[in-house]
Amino acid sequence: MVATEYYVALSSILFAIGAVGVLTRRSAIMVFLSVELMLNAANLALVAFARQWSGAGSITALSGQTAVFIILALAAAEVAVGLGILVSIFRYRASTDVDALAEIRL
Amino acid sequence: MATFLILAVVMIVGAVGVITLKQPVHAALALVGTLLTLAVTYVTLEAHFLAAIQVIVYAGAIMVLFLFVIMLLNIQGETPPAVLAWFRPLAYIVAVVAAAAIATTAFMEPRSLPDEVQIATALQGGGVEPIADVLFSDFLLAFQLVGVLLLTGIIGAVSLVQRKVVAVQEARADGATKELEHA
Repeated sequence: MVATEYYVALSSILFAIGAVGVLTRRSAIMVFLSVELMLNAANLALVAFARQWSGAGSITALSGQTAVFIILALAAAEVAVGLGILVSIFRYRASTDVDALAEIRL
Repeated sequence: MATFLILAVVMIVGAVGVITLKQPVHAALALVGTLLTLAVTYVTLEAHFLAAIQVIVYAGAIMVLFLFVIMLLNIQGETPPAVLAWFRPLAYIVAVVAAAAIATTAFMEPRSLPDEVQIATALQGGGVEPIADVLFSDFLLAFQLVGVLLLTGIIGAVSLVQRKVVAVQEARADGATKELEHA
């Protein structure tokens, strides 16, 4: 059995890679993909913690997995709205470059 | 440990692919690979139901939505896609190998399944029933809020993407008057 620390370390690596993607990519769709990566890194940590507490009774043990379930639904809603915004931006500008979207900057 | 290392390497390679590949379609497919590896990792963490959900909802539905939007908007990467000469032969080889593997599996000596008690104990941790127990008791409020969130999200997405009804009617009216003028 692999220790929980390794899974959390893997999760942190994935999260860091996702954060780099969010900060460096210019296309909005790439930023979205990196955000998905970060969400999944958090999910991995939650599932690993859920296994760590698997001896602590049903409710405590499965809270982590249930939270992942809820995050999944949240990610679906986020993608639906985010891609909707992306499509409507693309209609006006024919580009998804996030650096070019500076109209509401003061 | 070996399983974990293989999964970790594949996952990190996929993740690096997501943030480095130029073509959005390639990056999305790299993310699909990462998500599928993550599903296998969930199995090793005794979260069987989540692994299935990960494949169906994440790698299935959400990523298909991504690919759909990428192809709908026809977003090109920074460089035009290269047409690779070795791609087509490789595709045929992959298809033949996959078919051969499935055929070999079909003709292999069937192994007997472990008995039901063994399966039940193995699936104890992350099956549908234990998760449903927690979801509909401790997480009931979160569950209902997610329902509201999904409804709001879908309404928001539809109203964002939908063109204004008035604008569509005006466009139609313009078209009609032009046709009349032509006549």
